[in-house]
Amino acid sequence: MIKLKRNILFVVAILSLSLTACGKKIKNPQLVINEVMTVNESNYMDEFGQRNAWIEIYNNTAATKNVGGMFLTTDKNNPKMYAIPLGDVLTQIKPHQHRLFWADNEPFHGTFHTNFKIDPTRETYIALYDVDGKTLLDEITIPAGMEADRTYGYEIDGVKYDNSGNILAKVLDRATPSSNNQVVGENPKIVSLKETDQEGLMLTITSMLVVFVGLILLFLIFNTIGNTASKMSKKRTDKKSDPKNVEISSDSSITGDEIAAISAAIHELMDDQHDVEPSVLTIQQIQRNYSPWSSKTQTLRRNPRR
Amino acid sequence: MELEFQQLLPAIAGMTWQDLVMIAIGLILIYLAIAKEYEPTLLLPIGFGAILVNIPFTSAITQIDPATGEMVEGVLDTFFKAGIATEIFPLLIFIAIGAMIDFSPLFRNPSLLLFGAAAQFGIFMTMIFASLLGYDLREAASIGIIGAADGPTSIVVATRFAPNLLGPISVAAYSYMALVPIIQPPVIRLLTSKKERQIRMTSAGNYNMKISKTSLILFPIVVTIVAGIIAPSSLPLIGFLMFGNLIRECGVLNKLSLAAQNELASLVTILLGITIASTMTSDRFVRLDTLLIIALGLFAFVFDTFGGVIFAKFMNLFRKDGNKINPMIGACGISAFPMSARVIHQMGQKEDPYNYLLMPAISANVGGQIGSVIVGGIILTLVPLFA
Repeated sequence: MIKLKRNILFVVAILSLSLTACGKKIKNPQLVINEVMTVNESNYMDEFGQRNAWIEIYNNTAATKNVGGMFLTTDKNNPKMYAIPLGDVLTQIKPHQHRLFWADNEPFHGTFHTNFKIDPTRETYIALYDVDGKTLLDEITIPAGMEADRTYGYEIDGVKYDNSGNILAKVLDRATPSSNNQVVGENPKIVSLKETDQEGLMLTITSMLVVFVGLILLFLIFNTIGNTASKMSKKRTDKKSDPKNVEISSDSSITGDEIAAISAAIHELMDDQHDVEPSVLTIQQIQRNYSPWSSKTQTLRRNPRR
Repeated sequence: MELEFQQLLPAIAGMTWQDLVMIAIGLILIYLAIAKEYEPTLLLPIGFGAILVNIPFTSAITQIDPATGEMVEGVLDTFFKAGIATEIFPLLIFIAIGAMIDFSPLFRNPSLLLFGAAAQFGIFMTMIFASLLGYDLREAASIGIIGAADGPTSIVVATRFAPNLLGPISVAAYSYMALVPIIQPPVIRLLTSKKERQIRMTSAGNYNMKISKTSLILFPIVVTIVAGIIAPSSLPLIGFLMFGNLIRECGVLNKLSLAAQNELASLVTILLGITIASTMTSDRFVRLDTLLIIALGLFAFVFDTFGGVIFAKFMNLFRKDGNKINPMIGACGISAFPMSARVIHQMGQKEDPYNYLLMPAISANVGGQIGSVIVGGIILTLVPLFA
């Protein structure tokens, strides 16, 4: 019992330590204003053939997020500037996917057209507020005088802060509306492994570990199922052999001779049941037409003897 | 006159010494299958197929018609495309194998399952060795998988990674599986003392324990889920194996279970053997590579045995006297079922006539079957990342 308590305390200590360590790092927002273009001259065009400033929102989580009912604003004092309409299925952003809003002051063009414009000559504050209009989800400040067709945002989608908590927003090398800001062709870890482990030593160690882990898991499953099954069968056997469940006749008036007679009678009765066999005897000839297909002599030869 | 001879009997005129070597190999495989009974179900069709595809201008495989210059697709190539390239034949064999396996010995002694992992050591040692010899990682992994001692897994991996080596890999895998009684005993004797080989394992498990039907039904489902979570790529392999086992254990599909064990296994085996032979053409097979692959296959089997035995000895360091494992059991962690278990049981009886190792050996052997399939899946997942 003391050992169990000690183990629990140890686990709690480890958990709280790791949580404290995690707590120091600033978390990236769940919904990030990922990339913004303030001057759109020859870039992305909306469904009406117009080029306007756009704001890209990125779902930084592994779950689908609905931005319907949330608010976009360019004014800190007016968080409810543009209410993203409810009831549009397209406001649901899939995990790690993007949604683009046009800052064109054309709200009647559809869900993704805001009721404000962005003035590129001035520093622009953009914020996303939750459905209550009070909880700030993310904000970004775009510097004044952005070049045409250049965007401002985060190099890696959704990564707003570095390890020291500094904001990583910058002018991006290329505009990537509704797609990843960084095009990842290869996984750098795998590239370095390919270079350092050409003979597959790491692959060997990884594979053997995975096989062992898999079989250890199966061992635990076998063990648990096996133990449970044997316990259950033992319980059942115990229950059957429990003296309480066996009815013992208290009638001692039956003598041994009588028991023998009853047994003999039961035996005879059971034997008698086999006197009439289920077969039917007949003198009629069975109709069976000859066919070479059913004749054994016409078909396969015997298997060769070894 | 010479031209006429070529036109009359093009097969004889076009025969090369390499073709003759392959026909001789085919005859040897048939001899081994019939006279020595080395895996006859596979080696006989492979041997016959090797003859079939090495007669010049055979229409059994795809040829260019010398008269018209058109390509004429051979039936064996059609079978190959339909059954091996799509992995259908080996996976159907897995259903049949699943329907044949009884997993209940593992419930009685689950710790022996771990030998199924330890005895896969040879696969990876061979893979590293083959890489050092200059094979690229995909080919090296395909050669290493011979050590799984599991024909269908070897075929699936080789088809995916090195279809050019499928012939020698399949022949090596099936030949060595048949040669387990010759390969394993000397390695085991080298690694163990007489005293160790005499260890009795009466307390190793409760072999009279009755396994409930529910446990046996749940098992294939749970294994599929667990293996799938760990290595999703292993799902076709392990999934088909466990599907076959579920048919066997569910108790309501006895007809299907028998069909899988007999008709399905027989039919697919016939097609599998002869179709694999279609890759054994002289231009692909009569090469130094083939000899090297066959040698590496032997290396894989030896190191599988080594891994299993050494792991058993390692486990014994932590076990009390009277509860020790006979290190020979470790060698049963390969997938050659029940050959390996039988060999170990016989070796045990040779050392001590009253030592019955069959049950623990079977448990470890069944573990080997699961282990080899998981390794196959892991290789299919990881090798493309590294290669």
